[in-house]
Amino acid sequence: MALRAALLRHVRVPLQTLNPAVTLTGPKWGPPHLRWMSSHDDHLTKNEVTDRVLSVVKCFPKVDPSTVTPDVHFQKDLGLDSLDNVEIVMALEEEFKLEIPDKEADKIDSTNLAIEYIYNHPMAS
Amino acid sequence: MGASSGPRLSGMQRQVLSLYRGFLRAARLKSAEDRHKIESLVSNEFRHNANNVDRKNFLYIEYLVRRGRKQLDQLKSPDTVGLSALNMGPSSSICSAG
Repeated sequence: MALRAALLRHVRVPLQTLNPAVTLTGPKWGPPHLRWMSSHDDHLTKNEVTDRVLSVVKCFPKVDPSTVTPDVHFQKDLGLDSLDNVEIVMALEEEFKLEIPDKEADKIDSTNLAIEYIYNHPMAS
Repeated sequence: MGASSGPRLSGMQRQVLSLYRGFLRAARLKSAEDRHKIESLVSNEFRHNANNVDRKNFLYIEYLVRRGRKQLDQLKSPDTVGLSALNMGPSSSICSAG
């Protein structure tokens, strides 16, 4: 672990130099994202969570990306149905490597609830 | 304004959503191609029923949920790579039993 920390201090790799073919899999329609030795930070920032949540939602095939804001309701504002809601929450699980129990998943019906839940989740990455 | 207390889902709606989620979770464990097929099939079937079955037809909905659970159990078996839909439209006799 100490070696790794030492390495991280000395190896700074700008994202642009990374081979774009190397990606971690996210949700299947989602944007590929590059993480390089990134688990050094313990917790995601709210901004990072927000950006990633919004991009998952924007990439959902039935959604018009221009209507997506951090405070938008999946069914009332984006015109999705409850099954789509399930699909979106599952895509968020894949993006953040979480498993969200049914009871909590049923409550997540807007971007702001998704952001809150994920931001507060100790295991989100 | 804070977050809403969540959608007011009936017990039956929760069961249906839970089943749908179960299928999608099971599909994740299959190959990419199988996963895609399963997701399309399940999505189509659930939406078809959502549009065509009277939400008060509890008897038929319960039947569909039971049947779905059995299919899901079969899907979870590592030997199963796919499933085909049994598209039975609601017959008039089942509908009127509600």
